[in-house]
Amino acid sequence: MRPRIYCLLASLLVAPTAFAEMYFGGYWDPIFHEDVEERIPGPSIGDYAGLPINAAARLRAEAWDASLLSLPEHQCKPHPSTYGFRGVGTLRIWEDRDPDTQQLIKLNTHIAWQEQEREIWMDGRDHPPEHARHTWQGFSTGHYEGDVLVVETTHLKAGWMRRNGLPLSDRATMTDRFYRHGDLMTHVMIVEDPVYLTEPIVKTNGFRFVPNGTMTPYPCYSVVEVVHPDGYVPHYLPGENPFVREFGELHGIPYEATRGGAETARPEYIEKLR
Amino acid sequence: MLACAAAALLGYVPQLWSQDTAPASPREAAPIDITGNWVAIINEEWRWRMLTPPKGDTMSVQPLNDAGRAETDRWDPASDGSCKAYGAGALLRMPTRLQIEWADQTTLVLRTDAGQQTRQLRFEAPGPAAAGPRTLQGVSHAQWQYAMGTPRGRAAGGTFAQGGRDQGGSLVVTTTHLLAGWLRRNGVPYSDQTTLTEYFDRFPSPNGDEWLMVTTIVEDPVYLNGPFVTSSHFKREPDDSKWNPSPCRADL
Repeated sequence: MRPRIYCLLASLLVAPTAFAEMYFGGYWDPIFHEDVEERIPGPSIGDYAGLPINAAARLRAEAWDASLLSLPEHQCKPHPSTYGFRGVGTLRIWEDRDPDTQQLIKLNTHIAWQEQEREIWMDGRDHPPEHARHTWQGFSTGHYEGDVLVVETTHLKAGWMRRNGLPLSDRATMTDRFYRHGDLMTHVMIVEDPVYLTEPIVKTNGFRFVPNGTMTPYPCYSVVEVVHPDGYVPHYLPGENPFVREFGELHGIPYEATRGGAETARPEYIEKLR
Repeated sequence: MLACAAAALLGYVPQLWSQDTAPASPREAAPIDITGNWVAIINEEWRWRMLTPPKGDTMSVQPLNDAGRAETDRWDPASDGSCKAYGAGALLRMPTRLQIEWADQTTLVLRTDAGQQTRQLRFEAPGPAAAGPRTLQGVSHAQWQYAMGTPRGRAAGGTFAQGGRDQGGSLVVTTTHLLAGWLRRNGVPYSDQTTLTEYFDRFPSPNGDEWLMVTTIVEDPVYLNGPFVTSSHFKREPDDSKWNPSPCRADL
């Protein structure tokens, strides 16, 4: 018996740390030093600048009426995972490990606002077939590339890329990458959508580690805020949204620039703003 | 016991290999390749980065303190275009293209077409330059940060894997000896006491594009109450055909 113990000890002492994984567990607060206007109070109607959207996305966004959010059916919607990490609320990350092997089975994330909860399977399983259920958070699998946690998500419900009606379809997929540098975490999301995007959207934003963090519950109950006829859905018909030019007029930005498109994110587009 | 020894040795071999083949220079030891042509993709903070924001607009610069706001209010719109907006503290937030290349075995050079700035990212410990006059781009000390702390991306004499995808690590750059500058083109200030920390990471997107991400931490005891943290992303371009040098105004 004793040689076996020695053997185990010896192996532990000299074993390289190649199997170590960057630890992301704990509480993280989002850093709002970028896009605070969009991410907290909310974006302006008609502000699509810098986003690689197509004409279908614009048409759909212009049909959107913010009053939609007052309907009981829409009041308790969580953000889809394609937006949630840019929203408000503390983030908690924790691991599920096999109790016998200590193998990492799953990472979980919970964001306070509307209790968005993701499961990220780390055990090598495949994504389900296309006909499987689509959800707000989608189906996610993850793996490590060096110290970077890489997550791939499919099976999303139709959602949004910005809270002013800019849509994402249920064909959208996302790759997240999580980088940890000390107490800072930079989250990268790469969203592809053959229905509404002409090229992938890449967004990056930061979180700060919170020692001894806490999570606030976020119960949500729907109520009738405004009495509407049954089946009423707030919307604008094409060409009838009176607010789409407001953003550009307020900030002196040419209307064409506010309409977005991949070219509006390039440095050379500045020439068209002069 | 034989099995025990074999198991222990097998665990040790990678460490021996990594020590015996330790790369000779920072260039050879690079766990990621950030050289090449890159273009900033401005899909965050669009209104504050593509345009000069109105006077007094400090939106998102949440750590700005009272002294910083007062200094912002002193900005003269006639000074728009000043090189103060192209200091290292905010240079990579600009709508710009980057060219990054090795000048020698220990120095990366980063150039921007917007403002026509040049930064030297030196892996050698700061020498006499650190004692010289302050400059817009300051003195930058670069270090590789390897995945899990061990050089494992590349053996000496080896070549990079295509795209650098399987390399693990980041470039960490610490910059001091800065002249005072602006975090935004509308005069939101940082002082000459600023320390800048940047993490350069590279990643692929599923469609085959290559990206460079820079997480920037500005710490300024004069105008900020705490670190100002942003992240900027750049897409790789095949060549410099879209390089469009445009100077900033050094006279302001």
